[in-house]
Amino acid sequence: MTKLKSIAIIDDDPITVFGVKRMLNTLGVSENIRSYVNGKEAIDDFKSIMNNKGVIPEVIFLDINMPIMDGWQFLEEFIKLPITHKIRINILTSSIDPADKENWRYYMTRTHHIIDYKNKPIQKKEIEEITRAA
Amino acid sequence: MDNRITLVGNYGSMLPETQTSSNNYLIKQLPVPMAFVNTKFKIIHASDKWVTDFDFSNRDVIGMSLFELFEDISKSWKKDLNSIIKGKAMLSGVENFYDSQNNEKWFEWVNVPWYDERENIIGVIIQSKDITDTIFDDIKLEKLEVLLKDKSKISKIGSWEYDAIKDRLTWCKITKKLHEVAEGFEPDMESGISFYKEGYSRNTIAMAVDNAMTKGVTWNETLQLITAKGKEISVIATGKPVFKNDKFLGMIGTFQDITDEVMNKAKTEEQERIFSSIFNSSYQFTGILDTEGTFLEINETALQFSGLKQEAIVKRKFWDAYWWPIPDMVKEGLKQVIAAAARGEFMRSEIVVLDKNKQPIPVDFSLKPIHNENGKVVSLLAEGRMIKEMVEARQKLKISEQKFRSLYELSPIAYILSDFETGEILDFNSSFEKATAYGKGDMEHLRYPDLVPDSSKHKLINFLKEVDLKGTYGPFQHLFSRKDGTTYPVLISGSLVGNKKGRKLLWSTAQDISEVKKKEKQIRGEQKLLKTLIDNLPLNVYIKDLESRKVLVNKSEIIYCGFKEEAEVLGKNDFDFYDEKSALISREEDLSVMNSLKPILGKETISVKKDGSLIRFMTSKIPLIGPDGKASGLIGISMDISDLKQQEQELRDLINVTSIQNKQLINFAHIVSHNLRSHTANFSMLLEFLVDEKDANEQANLIKMLTEASDNLLETLDNLNEVVAISTNLNLDKKPVNLNEKVAAAEKNLAAFLKKNKAKIINKIPDETYIKVIPAYIDSILMNFITNAVKYKDDNRNPIIKLTVSKNEKYTILSIEDNGLGIDLNKYGEKLFGMYKTFHDNSDARGIGLYITKNQIEAMNGKVMACSEVNKGTTFNIYFNDKT
Repeated sequence: MTKLKSIAIIDDDPITVFGVKRMLNTLGVSENIRSYVNGKEAIDDFKSIMNNKGVIPEVIFLDINMPIMDGWQFLEEFIKLPITHKIRINILTSSIDPADKENWRYYMTRTHHIIDYKNKPIQKKEIEEITRAA
Repeated sequence: MDNRITLVGNYGSMLPETQTSSNNYLIKQLPVPMAFVNTKFKIIHASDKWVTDFDFSNRDVIGMSLFELFEDISKSWKKDLNSIIKGKAMLSGVENFYDSQNNEKWFEWVNVPWYDERENIIGVIIQSKDITDTIFDDIKLEKLEVLLKDKSKISKIGSWEYDAIKDRLTWCKITKKLHEVAEGFEPDMESGISFYKEGYSRNTIAMAVDNAMTKGVTWNETLQLITAKGKEISVIATGKPVFKNDKFLGMIGTFQDITDEVMNKAKTEEQERIFSSIFNSSYQFTGILDTEGTFLEINETALQFSGLKQEAIVKRKFWDAYWWPIPDMVKEGLKQVIAAAARGEFMRSEIVVLDKNKQPIPVDFSLKPIHNENGKVVSLLAEGRMIKEMVEARQKLKISEQKFRSLYELSPIAYILSDFETGEILDFNSSFEKATAYGKGDMEHLRYPDLVPDSSKHKLINFLKEVDLKGTYGPFQHLFSRKDGTTYPVLISGSLVGNKKGRKLLWSTAQDISEVKKKEKQIRGEQKLLKTLIDNLPLNVYIKDLESRKVLVNKSEIIYCGFKEEAEVLGKNDFDFYDEKSALISREEDLSVMNSLKPILGKETISVKKDGSLIRFMTSKIPLIGPDGKASGLIGISMDISDLKQQEQELRDLINVTSIQNKQLINFAHIVSHNLRSHTANFSMLLEFLVDEKDANEQANLIKMLTEASDNLLETLDNLNEVVAISTNLNLDKKPVNLNEKVAAAEKNLAAFLKKNKAKIINKIPDETYIKVIPAYIDSILMNFITNAVKYKDDNRNPIIKLTVSKNEKYTILSIEDNGLGIDLNKYGEKLFGMYKTFHDNSDARGIGLYITKNQIEAMNGKVMACSEVNKGTTFNIYFNDKT
C-alpha cells in the first residue's frame, strides 16, 4: 500500500477522531494525520497550506454536523479551492437523513474530487478501502 | 209774386208815413191778407183778412209790433224782415203756426219793401196766403195714390203716416193688426222702428227713414217684423217723404204682410231640394218618362251606371238606350210595357241590362204611372234595382247565418237566450247542454235565475240591473248550477236585444272556467313553490335588465344588500351597492354575458361594498334570451364564499403549520437518531478497540472514553426528554402573569452569574404588563435569553441587556437586546433555532437552549424572531399571544 503524504479528519466528536486515527495508524497508511473540530478550522488551515505551497491532504474524513461550519459548508468552500488533482473526501456521519445523501450526490456532480459517503460506526476493513489516493 | 210792382205802384207813392184813415180803410178792406210794418216792425196797416187769418180779430193790432203779436217769431223771419229793410227786393216762403184753437195753419208769404215817394224804404209790406187746406189736400191725395198702388190683398196692406210738424206717427187698423197691437196703441217713430227684426231689417229701415228725411228718397223693402206677440212676419214696407216747397212735412207709407208667400216659397224650394237629393242619391236607377216613353229626367245613379251624360238620354226614347241587350226584340216589349203603364198599369219584371263594360246585370225593373189630380196619367216613373247585390247579400247573409249557427252550436262557450222580463229560457246551445246536463226538454220549466246557485243570486240581480241600464254586462266571474245542483265557475257576459215584437231578450254567454281556475291555482301554487325555493336558497339570486338594474331579487340578495323589503333593492344597480371599481367590473361582465349570450359560470370574484367590506363571490351570470333571440337581461346567482375562502385560507395556513411541524418532527427524529447513533457508534468502536487492546494504559484510556460516551448519551437523552416534554405538555394552562415579576425572579436566580460577568440589565417593561403564558416556560425562556446574552458577550465590553415591551393587536412583544458578539444571520439564520446548532467557539454551547426556548414559545402560540449584527449585538423579539 502506497503511503499517503497526509490525511485529515474533520469532526467535532473527539471519540470519532480518536477511533479513526487509531484505525489509520493500525493500517499505517500515513505518517501525517491531522484533525480539525469543525469545517472552518480545516478550510482555514488548507488555505494557509496552499499559500505556503504545502500539500493538501490526499484523503479527508468529513463529519456533517459540526458547529460554526458544518460538513456541507466546508465542501462548498473546499471545491472552490484551486486544487487540480483529485482529493478523496469520505463523508463519515451517523445521520441517516436522506437529505444528507441528497446533498452528497449534489456535491459529487459539482466537483472532480471523489466524494464517498459512509455511516458510523466504520469498520477497519472499510477504512482500508476508502483510504487511498484518488 | 208778379203783383209786387202793382202793389208798390198802387200804394207806395200814395201812402204817407203816417197812415190816413182813408188809406187805412182801403187797406183794411183788401181781400188779401196784407200787413204794413215800419222799420221797427210795428204794424201800420193791416187788412181784415190778415187779421182774421192770423186770428187777431179780437185785438187792435195797429201800432203793435210783430214781436208782440207773434211771440215765438222765428229768427229766420226776423232775418228776412231785416234783409228787406236793408234793400232786398223780395223774399217768400211757407210757414205754419197754431191758432187759438190749436189748429195747424199753413201760409205762404211774400215780403217786399215799403217805399215812400222818394223811394226810401220805410218798412215792409207783408202779404200772406192761407194754404192750410191746400196742403192737407195734397197729403191726402198722395196717401190715396199709395194705397191704390197695391191692387190685390188690400186687406193685408196697412198704412201709416208721420206728421213731422207734430212728430206724430199714425197707424191704421190693419197696420196695428199686423203689429198685433191693441187698437188703442199709439206708436211713435222709435217704437215703430223697434218692431223691425234686429239686424238687417232694423238697420235697413233706419237708413231708409234717414235717407227719406234728408234726401227725399222713397223706400220699398222686404223686411222682417217681430210683432208685439213675438211672431216673426215678413212684410213689404214702403215709405215716402212729403215736402212742400222744400220743407219736410212728414212721411206716409204702407205695410204688406207677405209671410205666407215667403213661407210657401221656402217650402217649395225645400221640397224640390229633398226630392232631387232622393232622386239622385238613390241606389236605384230612376227615370221619369212621359207617357210616350221619352226620358224627361234620369238620376245620377243611372247616369253613373251607364257612363252617360244627362243630355245624351233626356228627350230620347226609353227603348233606345244602349243598355238593352238585344235591341229589336226588347224594344217591342218595352214599347208595350210603356203603353200599358201609360194606361195606368203598374209594370214590374226582372230583366237583364248591360253595364258600360257590356256585363249583364240582373235588374228588378218597374214602371209606375204618375197621375195628376184628375187621375190622368201624366208621366211614368221608371225604376231599376240591381238584384245582383241583393242576391249576393242574401247569399252572404245565409252563409253568415250558417256560420253563426255552427259557431253557436260548436262553440265551447254556452249561449243562452232568455226573456229579460220573465226569465224564460228561449234557447241554448249544445255547449250549455254539455256543461249543465240540461236538455231542450228542460227549457220549458227553466228560468234564468235557476242557472245560478241560491248563494249567488244577489250577484245576478246586480248584473241584471246593470244590463238594464247599459244594455250589456260582464264579463264577470260567476257560478252556474248544473241540472244536478252542482256548481262550476263561469265567465258570464250578456247583452240586451229587442225582437220585432218589442220583447226584451237577453243573450248571455257563459264560459266554463273551471279548467282555467284549476290551472290558475296550479300556477299560483307553482309560483309560490318557486318563490319559496328561490327565497330560501342559500344563494343570492337576482335578475337584471339590460341596464343592469335589478328587477327581481330573492330574500338572500335583499338581506345581502342590507335591506328588508324587495322594493328597496329593485331598480338599483351595482353602483348603488359596491365601490365604483367593483361595480364597473360587474357591469363589464353583465355586458359581455348579454352581448355574447354566453354565461359566466362559477367565477370567483371579489367585490368591495360601499362600507369597504370585502366580499368574495362565486358568481354565475346566465343571459335571459328574449323571443327575438337577443338578451333581455340576465339571471345572476352568486354565493358569498368569503367565509369559505377564509376557512380555506385557515386550512392552508394549518397545512403549512403542520407540514412545517412535520418537517420539524422528521428533522427532530433525524437529530435524535443521529445523536443516538453517533453515541452507539462510538460505543461499538471503543468496545471493539478494547477487546483487542492488550496495553493496560490504553485499556484504561478506552474505558475513560467509554464513560465519556456514556455521559454524552445520558445528556442527549436528558435533552430529548426536555424537548419531548414541551411537545407533550401542549395542554398546560396559560395564565396571565406579571412580566416584571418573572424578570425579577430570573435576575435573582442569575445574580451571581451576572455579577461575575459584570452584566447589567436595563428593564424598561411597564409594571402593569401582563402576559398569558405557562409560568414554567416563561422562567425558562427568560433564563435562556439572559444567559445567552451574557454567554455570547463581546469580550471588549461589559454585557448590557435591555428589556422593552410593545403591543400589537394580537401579541405582547418582549424585546431582549444585547451588545454581544452578534451573529451572521445570512449564514446561520436558518439554523439559529435548530437543535444542536452552535455558532460560536464557546465550549459550553450545547446547541439545545434556543431550540427548547423556541419550542416553548411556539407551544404557547407565540413566535420568536431575531435580528443581529456581528460585533454589535443581537435582539430577540418574543411574541406572546394574548388571545389564545
